[in-house]
Amino acid sequence: MAELFKIPMENDTSRKIIHIDMDAFYASIEEREQPELRQKPLVIARNPSDTGGKGVVTTANYVARQYGVHSAMSAQKAAELIPNHQAVFKAPNFPLYQSVSEQIHTIFHAVTDKIEPIAFDEAYLDVTKNKLGLTHTIDVVAYLQKAILKETQLVSSAGISYNKFLAKMASDYRKPAGRTLVLPEQAIAFLSRLPIEKFRGVGKKTAPRMQELGILTGADLLAQSEMMLIQNFGKLGYGLYRHVRGIDNRPVAYQRERKSIGNENTYGQPLISEEQVQTELKKLAIELERRLRKNQKHGLTVVLKVRNRQFETITKRKTFSEYVGKAAEIEAIAWEIWTTIGHAEAGIRLLGITVTNLAPQTFENITLPLYDWERE
Amino acid sequence: MKFSINRTQFIKTLNDVQRAISAKTTIPILTGLKLVLSQEGLTLTGSDADISIEATLATTDEKNQLTVEEPGAIVLPARFFSEIAKKLPEDQMTIAVGDNFQTTIRSGKSEFTINGLDANSYPHLPEIADQNPFSIATDVLKQLIRQTVIAVSNQESRPILTGVHLVLNSGEMLAVATDSHRLAQRKLTVSVPSDVNYDVIIPGKSLIELSRTLADGDETVEIRIAENQVLFKAGNLAFYSRLLEGNYPDTARLIPTSSSTQIEFNAPVLLAAIERASLLSHESRNNVVRLTLNTADNTAIIYGNSPDVGNVEETLQFENLTGEDLEISFNPDYMKDALRSFGQTAIMINFTAALRPFTLVPSEDQEHYIQLITPVRTF
Repeated sequence: MAELFKIPMENDTSRKIIHIDMDAFYASIEEREQPELRQKPLVIARNPSDTGGKGVVTTANYVARQYGVHSAMSAQKAAELIPNHQAVFKAPNFPLYQSVSEQIHTIFHAVTDKIEPIAFDEAYLDVTKNKLGLTHTIDVVAYLQKAILKETQLVSSAGISYNKFLAKMASDYRKPAGRTLVLPEQAIAFLSRLPIEKFRGVGKKTAPRMQELGILTGADLLAQSEMMLIQNFGKLGYGLYRHVRGIDNRPVAYQRERKSIGNENTYGQPLISEEQVQTELKKLAIELERRLRKNQKHGLTVVLKVRNRQFETITKRKTFSEYVGKAAEIEAIAWEIWTTIGHAEAGIRLLGITVTNLAPQTFENITLPLYDWERE
Repeated sequence: MKFSINRTQFIKTLNDVQRAISAKTTIPILTGLKLVLSQEGLTLTGSDADISIEATLATTDEKNQLTVEEPGAIVLPARFFSEIAKKLPEDQMTIAVGDNFQTTIRSGKSEFTINGLDANSYPHLPEIADQNPFSIATDVLKQLIRQTVIAVSNQESRPILTGVHLVLNSGEMLAVATDSHRLAQRKLTVSVPSDVNYDVIIPGKSLIELSRTLADGDETVEIRIAENQVLFKAGNLAFYSRLLEGNYPDTARLIPTSSSTQIEFNAPVLLAAIERASLLSHESRNNVVRLTLNTADNTAIIYGNSPDVGNVEETLQFENLTGEDLEISFNPDYMKDALRSFGQTAIMINFTAALRPFTLVPSEDQEHYIQLITPVRTF
């Protein structure tokens, strides 16, 4: 039966892919800024005693991790795990992390332009061809890790293989400051040893179902038929069948196109009149036009985001058949949406306008200057 | 209320009135058709709040075979009622309103009873005084609508541009529409006292419906304008539309007064070529065609391209080309709409520069009708 519906598999082993993962990125940056934190259990989250127990851990340093603290855990739980109130909580400083991330990307670009960022602290690089002219990928990785350390004083782990899945598995294999290479002929052996939870897509929900079926390791997964995995796990099963065989032909998605361009503003002093809202929408629209023009984009959809004093956030969109990109149009559309969803009396804390359904603006239909203010 | 009437005559009038009735309306009673019966005749009314249409079937018109037994009024659910009326078996039908607005419709051996609504809860149509009315020949008005509504904007972000600007000044009528990428303008001479002046904006949608409602048989349409309503009267029909509020932009200054390149085409020939050139450009996200005019070689070449599909080039057949060389890009849809509005005539296209609007006028009469199109800047 299975033979009737055999899906052909091709394994592209010709590429050289690196996955770079910054070790405890946010925590390490904070330690760099305040070296005395290095010996303390540092948790990047707002202190739960200030938030009434709310909030989650974004990162923890290696000292805190020894107590069992990990990211995505509630900050309250982290505080409980670390004894004697030793835990140091620090609210995340995203602008700082972003600037460090940009520094690291500059280093990447010295090696290749085929970079797919996953987050501030993670990226795939396709170095099948590298700008340094190095023959061995391991040398490319050594260069990257050294350059990152020198520029940012931060430690990273790298995985090297012939596809994204294996590179990511490899970078995770030895941390911190690890460097793991998986060659095509080693792939199946490497994956067979891994516990099933390490496979992408096998999380809290799927792992117990795998265990029920007796699948505890990569080797167990490798023994399953494709049909069995598809029947039990659908699309995930289809992917796992390939991954455990070291197959993942997804390209490194560099130059990922922006899906939307937006601009928003938070008001410390909430807006309380329609006139204020109108003025702010105009400002947002003018800046948005500038951003769209800079990216040479225009879009079919305009989205308005409104947040009131009660922190209720409403978004509403409107789609057109003609592309929108001019400040006056954006403002008029945003105002029109506002009249259907907004109430200034509620006190407006945030307004945002986003243009999506973008297309490259390779042309512009010239507009008649109908009103005096439109004349150039 | 009770009457009997010729079914065919009734359905004809019902079809006209029903144009104003929308199934989706925020005011429930407007999904209904209002019937008012007097000794003079039966009046049907439909409305969607923007447009209202009223038509009367007179007792004196023998074709109607209208027998009034008891005058009165009722509102009936338009959709069901019209379907019933159209499917009844005999030429004649009788409608009688009983208790609680229950209405019986009889024809031959068939009898329907449907629930009606109190006619007193139906909105009142605006009263428009009959001072300063003026008249236009029906075919001229329909042509004017056809020539201008194509340029009306369908984007609600600038409501004023969804209408046609109608100005009557010293017996000259000017109708203008623009969506800011194109503009259509029509001039007419109307016989009215010279002190009758108007400046109104009529929703494009209303004019399209009006144009469909006007029968070719009616020779003239009487137009009455009030503060926020306009009324068109033709034959037994009264068509009301709300007017758009606000100031229409001053469009006169947008029309170029000189040109540097002129080309004359037979409108249908150019239309066919543009339709071919736009076959591929439509497929791409950039709906643009390019026209290259070379006066020394006396050639006009149109080019359309869609990166994913392919491209098209055509050497155009034209009557006459003068002036400077030019390469200009534009949206072919705008050109097609404009060309269709000219029908089977020769037209002049006047260009000033690659990034300036160009105009289309009939070769015979360059004064009364003009279409303006803005070009596309390509990067």
